[in-house]
Amino acid sequence: MAFSRRSLLAGTAGLGALAAGGLSACGSRTSISSDPNELVIWYWDRSIDPALLSIAAKQIPGTQRHLRADIIGGSFDTKLRTSLAGNAYIPDLTNINSNVSLYFPNEDMFLDLDELGAQNYKHLYFDWKWELGVTPTNHFRFFPLDTGPTGFYYRQDVFDKAKIPSDPESVGAAMKTWDEFIELGQKLKRNVGSFMDITAGQLFGQYINASPQRYFDKAGKPLYMNQTSTIRDAWNMAVKAIKAGITGNQQVSTDQNAAWESGKTAGHIEAVWWAQILGDTAPDTKGKWRLAKQPVRAGNSGGSFICIPHTCKDPEAAFKFITWLNNPQNQAQAFNNIQLFPSAEDSFTLGTMKSNTGFFGDQDPLTFFLEAAKEVPTSFISTYEAQAAFFGTEITNVEAAGKNPDRAWDDAVAQTNKILRKRGVNV
Amino acid sequence: MTVTNPAIPSARVADEPSTTERRPRNPFKRFWPQYVAVAPFYILFLVFGMFPLIFSIWLSFNDWDGMGQMKFVGLAQYRFLITDSRFWLAVGNTFLIWIMSTIPMLFLALVIAFLLHTNIRAKGFYRVAFFIPNVTSAVAMAIVFGSIFSNSFGIINSFLNWLHVSQVPWLSNPWGIKVVIAVMVIWRWTGYNSIIYLAGLQAVSTELYEAARVDGANNWHIFSRITIPMLRPVILFTVITSTVGGLSLFTEPQVLFGNTSNIGGPADGGLTIVLYQYYQAFNQFDFGYGAAIAWALFIIAVVFAIINWRLVSEREVDGQKVFKVSRKQRAANASAEPTEVAAK
Repeated sequence: MAFSRRSLLAGTAGLGALAAGGLSACGSRTSISSDPNELVIWYWDRSIDPALLSIAAKQIPGTQRHLRADIIGGSFDTKLRTSLAGNAYIPDLTNINSNVSLYFPNEDMFLDLDELGAQNYKHLYFDWKWELGVTPTNHFRFFPLDTGPTGFYYRQDVFDKAKIPSDPESVGAAMKTWDEFIELGQKLKRNVGSFMDITAGQLFGQYINASPQRYFDKAGKPLYMNQTSTIRDAWNMAVKAIKAGITGNQQVSTDQNAAWESGKTAGHIEAVWWAQILGDTAPDTKGKWRLAKQPVRAGNSGGSFICIPHTCKDPEAAFKFITWLNNPQNQAQAFNNIQLFPSAEDSFTLGTMKSNTGFFGDQDPLTFFLEAAKEVPTSFISTYEAQAAFFGTEITNVEAAGKNPDRAWDDAVAQTNKILRKRGVNV
Repeated sequence: MTVTNPAIPSARVADEPSTTERRPRNPFKRFWPQYVAVAPFYILFLVFGMFPLIFSIWLSFNDWDGMGQMKFVGLAQYRFLITDSRFWLAVGNTFLIWIMSTIPMLFLALVIAFLLHTNIRAKGFYRVAFFIPNVTSAVAMAIVFGSIFSNSFGIINSFLNWLHVSQVPWLSNPWGIKVVIAVMVIWRWTGYNSIIYLAGLQAVSTELYEAARVDGANNWHIFSRITIPMLRPVILFTVITSTVGGLSLFTEPQVLFGNTSNIGGPADGGLTIVLYQYYQAFNQFDFGYGAAIAWALFIIAVVFAIINWRLVSEREVDGQKVFKVSRKQRAANASAEPTEVAAK
């Protein structure tokens, strides 16, 4: 008895010491890998071509280093920010999604790629995409990965039934302005009862995505309160669309998916990557969809970046990996393998890119979106746009809850300004 | 304590003289193996429980985006909280959903427990069947309910259509959203509560029922005059657990609206306190404000704890007999203690 109690105590004591030791062994190490020849990249599934990663895993071309690629699951930003804040276990390279402006206030955490010779590569990429990686202090820290040029997806069969123009050329020609878009939507609604898009919030967002001016200027000054502003114009257009009844008020994805499948919603303005999602959610509609130019000009929705945290153990090698990963040949291959739409224009002229599979009938989506990508205006996405989400919320309130549009606008401005003042912005 | 474990003080007395005479040691040195033995829990608790708790208090007095420099702002987060209409909307939503779910849920659970308590066939099957929703993944459930209540394609609206009743935009109307979330909570927790009620019912002596029958009471009288009063402590327990659950409601609205443009759903109809806290901390990266919301929720929970506590102590005054016995026991314990003190 006495012996077994003693050994039990000794055993638990040992466990306790182990736990304490284990925790103290967590002493910080800045880099996530202690191997000096190993660079580590954080990314999420389907954001880098696995075939290219497996080449770099043996050796990053042109260097003596090799790459370890860690897939980071959900809450990517929280994990990356935590390791940067704790100055421990930081990867040598990391992807960041289209919300790259979130990192602008802490931009010093990432290397200025111009110091590594990024200017020599600038000519390869769409200008507007390159500019999205430039911080308000004019440092280029976020390198282009893929892009998301937008267009108007629509159901040709439904348009035919509604006896309105249905081939891509004439649909595009029939809606050169947003007013014409709404008029066309009214005909569609009247004739077959279908909607032009799922929600007014979607139109509002894509209007802004296709505009050179957005919520803030580079100095962080809000623009939406000006006499004329993109946000106000987008708002007025969305309110007009709601009053015309051309949007479906489908706020939840189950409703949206069912509506595209059935043709209740016969259109959608979204980026190139949406084709993949649509193909998965509504496979039976294959061949019925077409792509037309959206009103005014195409915009950009989504598309990620790659960057080098300040603790990287070999910035030159990391930068070599970035430029190799994103050269036109490899971007073309990434498109073929996992449908990442290139940011390098030369990818399209190589002739190696495989177009898609008849989902758009005889229309070639690649040519369509290449034309769209050339039209995207250069714009500036401010870090404070995350605090300006009230405009989207309020336009949804107008559509879903019938809120008075003028009151909704005033509420959106008031709430945004209040949060901005909390964040120390002068408004 | 003293009655069940008389061996401990006497054992202490036995080795006392030798230790006190030769080497007076502090208690830590004497009992270090025991301290080490319980250390793993406390170390883990300090790191993963206590530290975040204390840190969140500190955080709520700071402005921090989770990455850059922390800036001390005093009570500014709390001042903002008081004027934040969205926070108060979340508080209102939380209570509305809590009321809309708890009252029907507990009533249903009581009825189900009462029925399960009677002599019916396949009792075991029903008990398991009613409990299964509770062990179902909340995420999967929220997705299924999202489809059932879908505005234009859901089975509920199809049914209403068939009845020639006008359809309800469940997932875009602020009240519809609350109903959907409340229904989810009811579906998930009714079985759990009825199992607890059933356990309570089985503890009620059958003699009471028999006596009531002899006196000519009907089912309703038995239910309202015997079952409910006897179950009062159990009902109180379920009210407390559903208050805790209701105040921390998060998964259901998060899965329903997490990937839409607005986290609380249209018109913030499904914005609960914890969802708002999560949104501020992990979507807006305003950790100071997120921590302030968490502590505001703590204060609300404390208020509820006090109300619950008042209800409990009221019961003790009612049942004076129980109270007196326990007091006598305490007195007995107290009289036993002096010997122990003297032994030390």
